[in-house]
Amino acid sequence: MSQTTEVSAKPKKTFSEWAHSKQGRKAGVVIAFTIIPVVLLLVFTYIPFGEMVGYSFYKMKYIGPRKFVGWANYKEIFRRKDIIQTLLLSLYYMAGAVIQIILALYLATILSMKVKCGNLFKGLIFFPYLINGIAIGFIFKFFYTRGFVLDSVLQAIGFHLNNLPYWLKDKRVNNMSLVYSSVWRYVGQNVILFIGAIMSVDDTLYEAAELDGATKFQTFRYVILPSIKTIVVLNVVLSITGSLSAFEAPFVITTGANGTGTFFVVMNRIAHTNQRVGLASAMAVFLLCLIFIATIAQRLGFKYAFRNMDAEDEVMSGKKNKKKKGGK
Amino acid sequence: MKLKKVMAVGLASVMAMSMAACGSSSSTSTASTGEAAGSTAAASGASEGGSSASGVSYADIKLGETDTDLKAEIKVLTNRTDMMKDDYNGKNWASYIEDFNKIYPNIKINMEGVTDYASDTLTRLQGGSWGDVMLIPAIDKADLPNYFLPYGSVDEMSKLNRFADSWSYDGQCYGVATVGNAQGVVYNKKVFQDAGITELPKTPDEFLADLKTIKEKTDAIPLYTNYAAGWTMSAWDGYVTGTATGDAKYFNQVLPHTRDPFSDPGDGTHAYNVYKILYEAVKNGYTEDDYTTTDWESSKSKLNNGEIATMMLGSWAFGQMQAAGDHPDDVGYMPFPMTVNGKQYSSTSPDYSFGIAKDLPAEEEEASLIWVKWITEESGWAYNENCMPVAQDITKFPALFDAFDGVEYVTDEPALEGEEDLVNNLNSTSELAINAGGDAKVQAIVEAASTGSETFDDIMNEWNQKWDDAMDAEGVEAVDSAA
Repeated sequence: MSQTTEVSAKPKKTFSEWAHSKQGRKAGVVIAFTIIPVVLLLVFTYIPFGEMVGYSFYKMKYIGPRKFVGWANYKEIFRRKDIIQTLLLSLYYMAGAVIQIILALYLATILSMKVKCGNLFKGLIFFPYLINGIAIGFIFKFFYTRGFVLDSVLQAIGFHLNNLPYWLKDKRVNNMSLVYSSVWRYVGQNVILFIGAIMSVDDTLYEAAELDGATKFQTFRYVILPSIKTIVVLNVVLSITGSLSAFEAPFVITTGANGTGTFFVVMNRIAHTNQRVGLASAMAVFLLCLIFIATIAQRLGFKYAFRNMDAEDEVMSGKKNKKKKGGK
Repeated sequence: MKLKKVMAVGLASVMAMSMAACGSSSSTSTASTGEAAGSTAAASGASEGGSSASGVSYADIKLGETDTDLKAEIKVLTNRTDMMKDDYNGKNWASYIEDFNKIYPNIKINMEGVTDYASDTLTRLQGGSWGDVMLIPAIDKADLPNYFLPYGSVDEMSKLNRFADSWSYDGQCYGVATVGNAQGVVYNKKVFQDAGITELPKTPDEFLADLKTIKEKTDAIPLYTNYAAGWTMSAWDGYVTGTATGDAKYFNQVLPHTRDPFSDPGDGTHAYNVYKILYEAVKNGYTEDDYTTTDWESSKSKLNNGEIATMMLGSWAFGQMQAAGDHPDDVGYMPFPMTVNGKQYSSTSPDYSFGIAKDLPAEEEEASLIWVKWITEESGWAYNENCMPVAQDITKFPALFDAFDGVEYVTDEPALEGEEDLVNNLNSTSELAINAGGDAKVQAIVEAASTGSETFDDIMNEWNQKWDDAMDAEGVEAVDSAA
C-alpha cells in the first residue's frame, strides 16, 4: 500500500531517482548481469544462424553479388546422390556410438567397483580424450598404414599380412577404421561421466541388493542402470546427433576421400573449396532439421523403452520418488 | 553499497564495449578518408607517369650508380621467417642485407618476418603504417592504388620483369614478383639411370613406358601420388593450363568458353591426357601400394634417397626434396611429359610480389625501389633458392631448369575485361575447382583407377557434363576454340 501511494504521490520520478531506488538497483543488476551473455549469444549464435538460413535461399559466394533462388538449394540436396549418400555413412558412426556407450557402461561399472589400480585405468581410458584431434588423426594414419602398427600387432598374433585388408584403402572397412578412432577417443569421456553418475548412487541400495542375493548383472540391471538413466540417455542422444555431424576423423585422416566423406566434410568442401555458400548453408539447415528429428525421435523412443523401468524404479526406490513428488 | 559497486562494474563493462565499438568505427572511418585522399593522390601521381615523391622511376634506377649515398631506413615485411634465422640452411636475410650495404651503405634495411603472413598482412595493410615494402597479400586489384606505389606502366615493366601484369590495375604495375615457379616433374636421376633411361620422356606414352621400366628394373615407386594430403595433388590441375596447351590465354580466356573441355583432342594434349597419365599409372600399378596412407613429409626424403622415382610437383618443391636427405645431387626436375605441336611448354607463375607503400617520404620511397630492384636483379636470391629469376635479363637459371632447354615458358594471361570472375564462377558452380583446391576430383581419379569402379572416359564425361551445366547456369556462351 505504502509503495503505491508513494508512486502516486511522486508521479514524475526522474530516471536517476528510480535508478537509485531499491527496485531500480535490482533491475540494474539484473540487466547488467544478463545483458552480456544475452548479447554474446545473440551476436555470435542466433544472428549468424538467422543470416545463414537467409543465405540458403541464395546462389552466392563469400564475396561478390548474390542471387535469390528460392528453394533451389534445398531441392539440389535431395537431387544429388553424392550428398544424400553421405548420410548413409552416419550409420557407421551411429553404430559406433552405440558400441561406444555399451563399452563405456561396461567399463564404468567395473571401474566403479573395487578394482586394483582403478584410478590408473580411469586415467588411461580418459587420456585419449585429452589429445588434440589433429594429433589423433596423424596417430591413426600411421596406425593404419600398411605394415605399420596395427598390421605388425596382428602379424605378431598370427595373422598373415596378405590376409589383412588395407585399413584405409579398402572401402569395405575404411569407414569402420575411422569410426574406431573416434570411439577410441570419446569412450573415456563417457566412462568418466558414467562413473560420476554411478558414484552418486546411494550405497545402501547396493547393500540391499547384495543382501537380496542379486548377481552383479542384476545389480547393474536393476540398481545402477535405472539410477543413471538420465545421464545414459543424455550421452546416447549426444553421441547419435554427434555421429550425424562426424567431421574430425574423416577430415584429418583421409580428407574425406575414398568414400569416407561424411555430410560435414562434403559440406565443408562445398562451402570452402567450391565457394557455394548458398548450397552449403542449405545443407547446414537440412542437417539441423535432421538432428532435431533424430533427437525428438530418440526422446520418444527412450520414453517408450524406459516406461517399464520407471515403474520398477518406483518400486526399487519408492521412498525417494515419493518424496520428490511430494515436493512438487 | 555492494550493489552500487556491482552496477558500476556492469556499467563500466557495457561502456567499455560500446567504447570499443566506437573506437573501431572511428578508426575505420579515418582509414577510409585516408584512402580516399590517397587514391586521388595516387591518381594524380599516375597521371604524371609513375613514381611521385622521389621523382625516381623503377626503370631508371641503375644499381650501384643511382644515388649510392642515399640515406634512409626502410622496413621490409617478409613471409620467409626461416631466412631470418642465423642457422638458415642457405643464405639468410642478414647476409643479403650485408651484400646490399656494400653498394648502398647508408640504407638501413629492417626485415620483419611475419609468421602467419597471408592474413596478418591483410589486417596490417588496413591499419596503415606497416612499413615500406611488403609482399602484396590477397587484395582486390582495384584496391592496389589505395595502398601501393605504381612502379610504372605494365608495358614498360614487362620489358624488365616477368609477371608484370600479375598485380596490375588500369595499366599500371604495382607488384614486382619475388621469384617465379615453373610446372614440371620432380624425379630421382639415379633411379632413372639405374633403370637405363637416358632420355627424358616427352609424351604421356613415353612417360608411362618409363614408369613401367622403373617398376620392372628398380625397387623404387615409379610415381608417388601423394594422395592422402590432398593439396599435394594440386599440380595435376596446374599442368592443365599452359603446360598442356601451350596457350597462355587458355585458362582464363579459352577454357571458360569451351564446351566439353575434358574431351580427348586426339593429339595427346590438353586436360584429358594430363589426368589420363594419373589414371593409367594407378591402374597399371606404377604408384604406391596404399595411396590412402601416403605421407608428404617422408615422401621428400624417399625421393631424395631413391625410393621414389617421380612426383608431380611445381618447381618450388625441388629445394625441399634436395634438403630432405643425403643425395641432393640425385634430385632432378624435368618438363612435364607432354608435347604440343612438337614443343614442350611449362606454365610459370609468380610467387608473392613486392609492393611499396604509397605516399612514403622521398628517401624511403627511393630506397625501397632500389632494394626491390637489387633483390630481384642482383642479389642472386632466386638462384640461391632454386627458383626462376624474375628479371628478364637474367639468363642464369638455377640447375633445376637444366632440363628445360627448348621448353617454352608460358604465363597465364589474365581474363578479358568484364570476365574476371568467370573462371571462378564456373569452378564454383561446377564444383570442379580447377586450380582452386579441387583436389577431391583428382583423388577420385586415383580411387576409380585403383578399384576399377569407373573408366577414365566415364570420369571425363562426368566432368564435361558438370562444366557444361555450369556454363549454362552462368549463361556463358561457348566459343569454338579452333576459331
